[in-house]
Amino acid sequence: MSAPSDNMPIPAPAVHSRPLVIRHLPYFIGAAVLVGLAAGLRFDGYILNILLQATTFSIAVFGLSVVLGLCGQINLAQAAFFGFGAYAVGLGTTDLHLSFWLCLVAGCAIALIAGAFLGMSTLRLGGHYLAMVTISFQQIVTLVMINAIGLTHGPDGVSNIRRPELFQTSQGYLAFCVAVLAIVGYLVWHLPDTRLGRAMRAVRDNELAAGVNGIDVFRTKVYAFALCALLGGLAGGLFAGGFAYVSPDQFSFAESIVFLTMSLLGGVASPIGSAIGTGLLILIPEWLRFLKSVPGLYLAIYGLFVILIIRFMPDGIWGFVADAFTRWRAHTKAPPVAAALQLKPATDGGEIVLEVTGLSKHFGGLKAVDGVNIAVRRGSVHALIGPNGSGKTTTLNVLSGLYKATSGRIVLDGTDITNMASHQRTAAGLGRTFQNIRLFRSMTALENVEIGAERPGNSMIGKGEDALTERAMEALTFVGLGNRANELISSFSYGHQRLIEIARALASNPTLLLLDEPAAGLNSTEKLELHELLKRIAAQGLTILIIDHDMTLVSEAAQHITVLNFGRRIADGESMAVLRHPDVVSAYLGSE
Amino acid sequence: MDLILQLLFTGIGIGAVYALVALGFVLIFRATNVVNFAQGEFSMVAAYLMVVFAVDLGWPYWLSFLIALAGMALLGVIFNLGVYYPLRHRTYLPVIIATIGASILLANSVLAIYGPQPQVLQGWFETPGIQLGPVYLDSQYLLIIGVTILLVFFNFWFFEKTLLGKKLQATSQDKEMASLLGISVSTMIMITFIYSAVLGGLAGILVAPVLFVSIQMGSTIALKAFAATIIGGFGDVAGAIIGGLALGVIETFGAAYISVPYKDGFAFLVLVAFLIFRPQGIFGERVAEKA
Amino acid sequence: MKLTRRDFAAGIVAGIAAPHIITSARAQGATIKIGMCAPVTGPAAESGGYAVKGAKLALEAVNKAGGILGKQGELIVEDDQTTNPGIVLAFSKLAAQSDIVGFLGSIRSTQVHAMAPDVLKLGKPVMIGGTDPNLTHMGNKWLFRFRPNDSYSGRVIAEYGVSTLGKKKWAVLHSTDAFGTAGGKALTEALTKLGAPPVLDQGYANQSQDFTPVVLAIKQSGADILGSYFTFENDLGIFARQLRQLGVNIPWVGSPSIVNITALKLAGPALHNTYGVADYAEQSSEASKAFGKAYRDAVKVAPDNQSSWTYDAVTVLSAGINKAGSTEPEKVREAILSIKKFPGAEGEYNFDQNGDGLHGYNIVKNDKGNIVFDKHIEFND
Repeated sequence: MSAPSDNMPIPAPAVHSRPLVIRHLPYFIGAAVLVGLAAGLRFDGYILNILLQATTFSIAVFGLSVVLGLCGQINLAQAAFFGFGAYAVGLGTTDLHLSFWLCLVAGCAIALIAGAFLGMSTLRLGGHYLAMVTISFQQIVTLVMINAIGLTHGPDGVSNIRRPELFQTSQGYLAFCVAVLAIVGYLVWHLPDTRLGRAMRAVRDNELAAGVNGIDVFRTKVYAFALCALLGGLAGGLFAGGFAYVSPDQFSFAESIVFLTMSLLGGVASPIGSAIGTGLLILIPEWLRFLKSVPGLYLAIYGLFVILIIRFMPDGIWGFVADAFTRWRAHTKAPPVAAALQLKPATDGGEIVLEVTGLSKHFGGLKAVDGVNIAVRRGSVHALIGPNGSGKTTTLNVLSGLYKATSGRIVLDGTDITNMASHQRTAAGLGRTFQNIRLFRSMTALENVEIGAERPGNSMIGKGEDALTERAMEALTFVGLGNRANELISSFSYGHQRLIEIARALASNPTLLLLDEPAAGLNSTEKLELHELLKRIAAQGLTILIIDHDMTLVSEAAQHITVLNFGRRIADGESMAVLRHPDVVSAYLGSE
Repeated sequence: MDLILQLLFTGIGIGAVYALVALGFVLIFRATNVVNFAQGEFSMVAAYLMVVFAVDLGWPYWLSFLIALAGMALLGVIFNLGVYYPLRHRTYLPVIIATIGASILLANSVLAIYGPQPQVLQGWFETPGIQLGPVYLDSQYLLIIGVTILLVFFNFWFFEKTLLGKKLQATSQDKEMASLLGISVSTMIMITFIYSAVLGGLAGILVAPVLFVSIQMGSTIALKAFAATIIGGFGDVAGAIIGGLALGVIETFGAAYISVPYKDGFAFLVLVAFLIFRPQGIFGERVAEKA
Repeated sequence: MKLTRRDFAAGIVAGIAAPHIITSARAQGATIKIGMCAPVTGPAAESGGYAVKGAKLALEAVNKAGGILGKQGELIVEDDQTTNPGIVLAFSKLAAQSDIVGFLGSIRSTQVHAMAPDVLKLGKPVMIGGTDPNLTHMGNKWLFRFRPNDSYSGRVIAEYGVSTLGKKKWAVLHSTDAFGTAGGKALTEALTKLGAPPVLDQGYANQSQDFTPVVLAIKQSGADILGSYFTFENDLGIFARQLRQLGVNIPWVGSPSIVNITALKLAGPALHNTYGVADYAEQSSEASKAFGKAYRDAVKVAPDNQSSWTYDAVTVLSAGINKAGSTEPEKVREAILSIKKFPGAEGEYNFDQNGDGLHGYNIVKNDKGNIVFDKHIEFND
């Protein structure tokens, strides 16, 4: 698999030739034209109201494309956040006589804070629970809007809301909203390619893997949730200015459902999809007005369409279109050529890189790991073996922070990591792979490895996106897959996916690399290649702790072996000696 | 004291309604890991079926009742085939949205066919209720409470003692294992949808004489029932019942002693408190998040 | 890629514009158009149906009597979905048709609030049925009200209960929506003025499934009379039954929903012997009787205020245009404001400068399910 020439130091060409702003000029020109049209064309009141509604709603739906599309978390309270912004502008400009801009900012801030708070208190729960909490939050907000009459004017709502002096005319205001939409759309469009955006996608694809690659999963979710709320608040503020009247029923649970449907209908992954979905869901009921003679008929048809679209266009309308377009374009960009990968593991501690003392992990009465000691020497390949159920993988999971140790102490390169969360351990220099491969499936190989390279504290990358891409390319080239960097994970064979996972860990320049059964599921050629790869990694001085069943691989690659059985250490020492140890022989003969 | 007893009876009565609907939620959730947002509409549809047969056509009450439940079983089949089954391999989100779509479709189809006027459906009993000392017991609420108690026993017997029930249990716990044992997973899920639609329908028919038959009758109850399932511990049958009853009582006493307009808020406040401090619910033992 | 996205945006714009172009391409008709926003769908869809029928009935009569300015009148109905955003869109869709000369807004105050800014912008007369007193007191000169506002209903309920029934210990129960809150406030104020401040002022949220705590609160307050503002008939029905079940039989004077036909059907005997204020009472005048007969003949159900106010609105608007001899908004406005002693189905219209046409209410009694006219109470201030 790995052509040695890949590792020849070839100077890497600059990844991007032109500055970002110039490459995206067409977008801005397009946006400017739209703003111009909004300001210049003569719309009647009906069209104007529809456009204004579509524009402001789109911004709120962008928020959902961040939290749902990018980060994979559900939010059924977007209308409540929308309401925060709307009421801030409504009450601020009327009761308090404040400037529109101040109120808009305040509305965004309130929504942001509420979103972050709600997120922090509940995002540790997932899926349906999150759905339920957001519904509850939504209901309570609605009740307060209706009943706290002193504050919100109650069900009467707030009327005569003012607009900024600059945009007094409806068309001017619409143009302003379109401009905001274009800017927010641009930011949301490019969010996936930023560090935060990649983290969100990683969390969505695989929370566990995101954690062990140095991403603070919880914080990332809170950011996504707060960002979503912020956009909701912004949209609500603009909406209030546009329609000059707000009342509680505009921000009810039903509206949250409408926002969600808009997002899914258009395609949750992209702001373009959000805009399409929003536009359609505002227009469809308008187009179907001719069915009004039978009450309920057009909403029934609408419900049917929701089911059909979910069924036949799983990625929404834009996902469907974009997919067809990609297939039609049918080629992927050739990746840039990369230099040889440099591994420079940190050397803060002494001779022993990983020192595990008295480590135990109990599940109820079951002692999965019981008082294990391991000492991994710097620069060595150390193997942890044992029959099935001996506690190897549990040990690895405790080491990487997926399980909390019942007792014992773990010191990595002089730092006590026993009580750290998994992303903190990664920051401290731990890298790992999984027995059942955990890659971010919606991303390309390069993006997967970039997430690894982004490890906080990675001293091997420079500043900026280009340096990140360069480092990731080096790691992919190192495992022999540099030429396929821009392909999606799903197009790789199982063996190659394993290599990508190793590349992801290597790109982060870890101090210690944990490999969880890397040979599992590989054929004999692939195993040989894996062995070669391990040798090349070890040659750069990186310490490896490997778990595997494959005795040939273990005995050839490892200098030192620790053997576990029934959660206890039964042997430890130089490879050959350990493998001849009578307890080890009987443990294996007994089980195999 | 009289006041408290009266409130307690009403709370339990309305709570039993939540519990019945919650039961339908739980069964589907356990079998498919999906929350069915159209569960409330099941109740609404069944109540309208009763109006069609018992009121408009004037057929005997018991016959109409059986026909309505049979209709619900059919709806369960259609719902499974049309909404859940095609999406079964996708994540929970698309399925949730599809059930939301189904709820819009059901509610508005009934609206299109039957018009927006709320309808009256007579209760099972001639007498509206009995005065027991200081407490007035509404006969329909008594019936609802009775049916709820019966269903607790029936479910216990069905899921623990019958082969079909055990198969359903096995399917909801581990689909792969169940199919290895030769259980047809898709049949089990179909049965779950049928059972759950019938249960939802039963709740709707029982509650219709009290709340009247209207398009919105299902959705308002369903949201509370959903909260009840979480309070009781998601996926737990006994939990759904206790959660529903608890919610009804909390709500009624909250309205009486704290605030009537915020009545609907108590349910959700309790829910949020539960989610933050005890996400596994009253009975649940499972950790909040399945990895 | 980017090009495609832009194309897409352009496509959407074209898609939005298309129906608009078609609409404006339609030639100016030979009819005088009246626009109407009505809840064809949503929670109030039922009453919306009655409202449209009332308006159509009035227009038929107007057309038979010679039409508007010699032309036939035509009613254009848009669905407001019973929501605020819905009515804003519905109204702006109507407003975009420049040949519509006048409009019928909503019977729901919150919806009128929502559409009011657009009404002011458009500057054409809009007939409304929302009874929040503020609507005609917030500087919007284009709103004309065809039902007595809530300050009158509150005063009439208080006046009737205190003076005619002789009860002073009041329990006031109201929905917490815009209609109920305004009504409850008006009633409380009127009672306080009459020296009988309520012993209980209780709000409830719409679509409640249970009213036991409310009934018990009324029981405990020791009130000897109940005044109520209910929005939805099913709430009213559930409350009425529970009230009777728990043994509360004090006199009860309610807002118009207490005598509407759906409420009568749902609550049945639980509402017997209650009183209601009704802007429409069939026996209250000759004009009311005439409307009642025409409506029964055409629609086959008993008439109520949902249809009577739209009936009057169309009649008065047509009369105003005919009187002005023009469809110019300012002239039509002047003509409507100058209408005095005009016999309508709802009562006698005497427009004041705020645009309020009616200043009193009928009191009716539910006599074993039949609505019987009791008396009319009119205020002149």
